[in-house]
Amino acid sequence: MAYSLHRIRNFAIIAHVDHGKSTLADRMLQVTELVDARQMRDQYLDKMDIERERGITIKAQAVRMPFKTPQGEYLLNLIDTPGHVDFSYEVSRAMNACEGAILLVDAAQGMEAQTIANLYLAVDAGLEVIPVLNKIDLPAARPEAVAEEICALLGGDPGDILQVSAKTGVGVPQVLDRIVERVPPPGGDPDAPTRALIFDSIFDAYRGVIVYARVMQGRLRPGDRIRMMATGFEGVIDELGVTSPEAIPIDELGPGEVGYLTAAIKGVGEAKVGDTITLAGKHAAPAPLPGYREPTPMVFSGLYPVDSADFPDLRDALDKLQLNDASFTFEPETSVALGFGFRAGFLGLLHMEIIGERLDREFNIPLVTTAPNVAYGVELQDGSRQRVSNPADLPDPSRIEAINEPTVDAMIYTPSEYVGAVMQLCEKRRGTMLKMDYLTEERVELRYNLPLAEIVFDFFDRLKSSTRGYASLDYDPAESQTADLVKVDVLLNGEAVDAFSSIVHRDKAYEYGKSMVGKLKELIPRQMFDVPIQAAIGSKIISRETVKARRKDVLAKCYGGDVSRKRKLLEKQKEGKKKMKSVGTVEIPQEAFVAALSLGED
Amino acid sequence: MSLPGDAPGVYVHIPFCLKRCDYCDFTTFADRDEAIPGYVDALCRHIEGDDSSAALFGSVFVGGGTPTYLPPADLTSIIETLKVNFSFTRDAEWTVEANPETVTAEMAEALAGAGVNRVSLGAQSFDERILTTLGRWHDPASVKTAVDRLRQAGIRGLSLDLIYGTPGETDASWRRSLDRTLELGVDHLSAYALTVEPNTPYAARVRAQPALAPDDDVQASRMAIADTVLSAHDMTRYEISNWAAPGHQCAHNLTYWRGGDWLAFGAGAHGCWGDRRYWMVRDPARYARMVADGAEPLAGQEVISTEQRRLERLMMGLRLTEGVDRSDIEPLDDAVLDRLTDGGLLQDDDGRVTLTPAGRPVAGAVIRQLA
Repeated sequence: MAYSLHRIRNFAIIAHVDHGKSTLADRMLQVTELVDARQMRDQYLDKMDIERERGITIKAQAVRMPFKTPQGEYLLNLIDTPGHVDFSYEVSRAMNACEGAILLVDAAQGMEAQTIANLYLAVDAGLEVIPVLNKIDLPAARPEAVAEEICALLGGDPGDILQVSAKTGVGVPQVLDRIVERVPPPGGDPDAPTRALIFDSIFDAYRGVIVYARVMQGRLRPGDRIRMMATGFEGVIDELGVTSPEAIPIDELGPGEVGYLTAAIKGVGEAKVGDTITLAGKHAAPAPLPGYREPTPMVFSGLYPVDSADFPDLRDALDKLQLNDASFTFEPETSVALGFGFRAGFLGLLHMEIIGERLDREFNIPLVTTAPNVAYGVELQDGSRQRVSNPADLPDPSRIEAINEPTVDAMIYTPSEYVGAVMQLCEKRRGTMLKMDYLTEERVELRYNLPLAEIVFDFFDRLKSSTRGYASLDYDPAESQTADLVKVDVLLNGEAVDAFSSIVHRDKAYEYGKSMVGKLKELIPRQMFDVPIQAAIGSKIISRETVKARRKDVLAKCYGGDVSRKRKLLEKQKEGKKKMKSVGTVEIPQEAFVAALSLGED
Repeated sequence: MSLPGDAPGVYVHIPFCLKRCDYCDFTTFADRDEAIPGYVDALCRHIEGDDSSAALFGSVFVGGGTPTYLPPADLTSIIETLKVNFSFTRDAEWTVEANPETVTAEMAEALAGAGVNRVSLGAQSFDERILTTLGRWHDPASVKTAVDRLRQAGIRGLSLDLIYGTPGETDASWRRSLDRTLELGVDHLSAYALTVEPNTPYAARVRAQPALAPDDDVQASRMAIADTVLSAHDMTRYEISNWAAPGHQCAHNLTYWRGGDWLAFGAGAHGCWGDRRYWMVRDPARYARMVADGAEPLAGQEVISTEQRRLERLMMGLRLTEGVDRSDIEPLDDAVLDRLTDGGLLQDDDGRVTLTPAGRPVAGAVIRQLA
């Protein structure tokens, strides 16, 4: 049935990981009778295994819920947003498709940095924010204190905040009532040139790309020839529909409505999040909706197949992933140590981890992943500029005028007793404090400008361990800065191992070199000759260790009874030798490589 | 007359001991004396039942376990059964393994009477502290007693087993063990670096007490000491862990290293005939039952491929000082071969590939490179 604009409510849920967003969404599906208890499964809207297992939402979903009230039937559109710092742009687009947002806070845990960051996005997008306390049935719940915290940020009366248990369903109908009551209905002229905001697009092996969009003005109908205003893609809508919660085709989407469409789109790169859908030809809108941004990879890493024979399969796998994820980039590169592989760019660390897990899970290709790094802007003395996303590619220091590194503005939200520890950590990571706010006596918001490179490696783990898990982190890209950076190379037997090169601040170069050299000394098995391990800046050696030659490597006994067993062992070793990476004449087992690349700073 | 090690051999396994040594992972049992008579019967019936080969055999090796833990009459009846059932060259080598404390005068006489011409004695060390660490219990002086008794009985071929690189051993104590061995005037010596085999009591002790783990570097030094001391006394190293006076190499073991054939009898014994590899069930009671039921007491067997044969020749043949025929271990990667020869670890002359003295301590690595 068609709904008039004043009967439509579009809303998102803002919540920290584990604060119960997916559970609340599940309960809403039940209260609105879209899904009965028999069909219900946990995290109904999270379709990927990895989402369910990790309890995170990676892809945005929209679900249309007709909701009967004594005042008549309303149409509630829940736009479920991804919940991680790496995807804040995607979150902001989803917010722009809504008029309201539920701020869902765990009554035991309280506010977290990520929630606050997303709350700011919601406020920036002009949304009506409805705070809700979840998990009030937990013994550790402290609803009054958390309500105070929320009001310190948002204003309002703590007594007015809804209290629910998404797990048991208590209070969920009241949340829906309040959405109807407080979230403004959408506007938009149905006769204006069509503009619809893409807030997600996913790749489906059978149907091609499915685009999720919110119509801001005008209409979309099956058979319409549409145009993506940023990418220029044009195609004809062959299916238009809504998710409720399964896909239901419909004849028209008007202003304020949320739905999906397919149009023979081959990859999500043709229908990017934030792009504007309009009609092709003379009915096209003159200008797109504001706020579109090209996805910019922030973190880079080399991906190499363990078995070089898997290289073509890896390329296919990356191609397929890219069909589904426009923010992930990759290009081929060669490493002396690791052979043929790819340099991949990610939005952030979680994004990198997710891609790695999907490669492993969906394509089953064992990989060596080099340590993550950021992209540097290098100004050369001849006035030219280069962008370096692989440390091994950094030009010789003598040619470099300056190196610029990306920075982020980080928001850290912590109990006040850990403020000292957090400040210490940020200072050690070259941070500059921007702001410190006591939101309540126990809760502090710290803002730091930090080099991105300093947080891509284990910053989050350090933050967690120095605050007993209580601090949370969110960050936004900020200006890049010139810094005194150098490339530290690691040499085995005099040969630089490109995979181990790293760009670090000069003050930390010695420490980094020493720790890498020490680590490798433990990891590289003794060879038939001495293997010097050196760390160097240019030609200057800053650290050195030696793996002494193995003096004895022979079976004491090998008689008739040993033949079959020892031959089988030799066959296995021969097979294993294929997985050895050779640097010159030094053979390094795959596992040592992986371990050296994955260990954090000590 | 054939060269030692060229004629096929026979291996017979006796899986019984008075006490299990902590480092040992061989098939042997220290608590099954009641099973011995049945086992000996089964072993003899197994030998009698074998009519597969009309070959002329050049060696017999009765190993264990502790063969001399059996009553002398049992041992001699096993040997008689072999003689009745197979043909042997006139100068065939008949070796029996023994622990020093089991070599009574009666045992020595029985062995000599049955035609045994070589005894390999598990001395392991002449240092009581080391013997304790290894979980051995014999008195070092019993080695000389055993040697004397065997000589008296007329057995000329004598070999000692020693273990080096046990934590607690010093360069000096190792030299003393070697000197004591040389004083005994035996014509053959096997010196093994202590190896911690998984699933042994010693491995468990190492886990609890890491200082008991042998050190590779120390063992390398002790191996070098053995080489120096023994070669000064006209004992030539003919295999990684074996030294012999001229003409006294162990023909049976050469069969293994030269890629020859041998038949196997007894629980847990491995045999090799052409491309066939086979091994018997390990449990003596089960072995006896299967033989009694008229079944071949096999635990497993395989027919090896050309490549598997090549790997065997590589890992066995290179252990010998005489090396291995290059044609046996082809194809070889020339680049790898050059690197190893240039590195002074390997020689490749006249179609024979041999380890250099520098290559022997790292033979395992060389073999893996060539595999």
